Amino acid sequence: MPDERFRQLLEAAPDAILQVDEEGRIILMNRVTEEMFGYAREELLGQPVEVLIPEELRKAHVGHRAHYRTRPSTRAMGTGLTLQGLRKDGSRFPVEISLSPGSSQEGFHATAIVRDITERKLADDRFRAAQEQYTQKLAETNRELELRSREIERADRLKSEFLASMSHELRTPLHTIIGFSELLGEELEGPLNEKQKRFVQHIHNDSMHLLDLINDILDLSKIESGRLELRPEPFDLTAVVTESIASVRALAEAKSIALETLLDVPMAIEADRLRVKQVLVNLLSNAVKFTPEGGRVRVEAGIRGTFVALCVADTGVGISSEEHASIFEKFYQVGATTQGVREGTGLGLAITKRLVEQHGGSIHVESERNRGSRFTFTIPLQK
Amino acid sequence: MKKVLVADDRATGRELVRTVLENSGYEVFEATNGLEAVNQAHELSPDLIILDIHMPGLDGFGVIEQLRSEEHFAATPIIALTASAMMGDRERAMAAGFTGYVTKPIGLNALRAEVARLLR
Repeated sequence: MPDERFRQLLEAAPDAILQVDEEGRIILMNRVTEEMFGYAREELLGQPVEVLIPEELRKAHVGHRAHYRTRPSTRAMGTGLTLQGLRKDGSRFPVEISLSPGSSQEGFHATAIVRDITERKLADDRFRAAQEQYTQKLAETNRELELRSREIERADRLKSEFLASMSHELRTPLHTIIGFSELLGEELEGPLNEKQKRFVQHIHNDSMHLLDLINDILDLSKIESGRLELRPEPFDLTAVVTESIASVRALAEAKSIALETLLDVPMAIEADRLRVKQVLVNLLSNAVKFTPEGGRVRVEAGIRGTFVALCVADTGVGISSEEHASIFEKFYQVGATTQGVREGTGLGLAITKRLVEQHGGSIHVESERNRGSRFTFTIPLQK
Repeated sequence: MKKVLVADDRATGRELVRTVLENSGYEVFEATNGLEAVNQAHELSPDLIILDIHMPGLDGFGVIEQLRSEEHFAATPIIALTASAMMGDRERAMAAGFTGYVTKPIGLNALRAEVARLLR
């Protein structure tokens, strides 16, 4: 290659390029080398390459050089280490060096390509700092989240405690209101006139309604906060159906409503007996409430795969299809109940649905206006 | 006449139970807190005691623990009266030595029946 073109090639490189002879003396260098190390060409040519290396490393470098001489290859120098260059003014800077061996008439020589990586190191450091900051922030966020979740747990516990004590505090005065109104109604302390009797009955009814509300709200909030624990036990569903029907019998008889059961087989299931009964009683008392005099209410039960399906059907006022979804919502009420029936809380079906679902079952309704209603719920045969 | 001791920190609660039981022909005595209930029990040797669970100071559980530790009250029927509706409360009361358990609000007939059952 002609000298001039060779020179141009050398000077076009963005890195410092220098060549040293067998003794480590600098025999060739480009302009970038001068700029990088702060020396003039004539100051470096003929000098041992160690002048460009921090003093404490010079001795070792002589050894490395000798070693390279015995096993020459093109490779990066000091892989994995942070190499440093030394400027004329004594300042140091990080470098990356690649080496390649060569030979000419003068004998062995090595070419070193030196790159100043100050900028890259700076960027690296900045990146690492940012990364560290990010990691720290992440840890902080995690700590905060943990704290927050502990706070939520605590708030949840406080809410439950509040509900329990509120229920207690509300029941205490309600206890005496209900008791005294019942006592007055018994007329043991003296006769009441018709109007007084009716008023006392109003006080009693509304107090009982308030009690139902307190019980239902407590139930619902226990279910919704996941604090309602089911107590599964094996039992015969037939017995629970019989008991549930007994609990609405008086109400049904007062309206001359016939109560029927159609139970396929004795059904042994494992579930929370009290809660299953609560569901059934709720559906039955709804059925009786919304069925006019002389109607029929019927409980059917049968096995459906791995579930037992219980159906409460009535010949009552029915529910229009637009309302089918809403009736399971809280405080939704389907118009007025029939005469002489205690007002509902609007929470019964919401609680019923959640109780069934917590058991792993489901509930749905089939109904049309003035065509009666069929509520069917399922409970797994075995949990 | 059978003697019944009623302990409740609320006067209206005491009057309600007193009225119902007096109508049924019992002699009723009142205590306004747990300590008074223990003292009255010693003084009167009642045939039956009705204890409100939730009383400031010595509560129903404290009273029954005290009374049941004495030979004299080992077999006295004691009814727990409570406005709490938590699951497991009944079991806890029975385990503590109560012989009856009535939740507030009481049905008057339920109270009459429970007292009659325990004094039969």
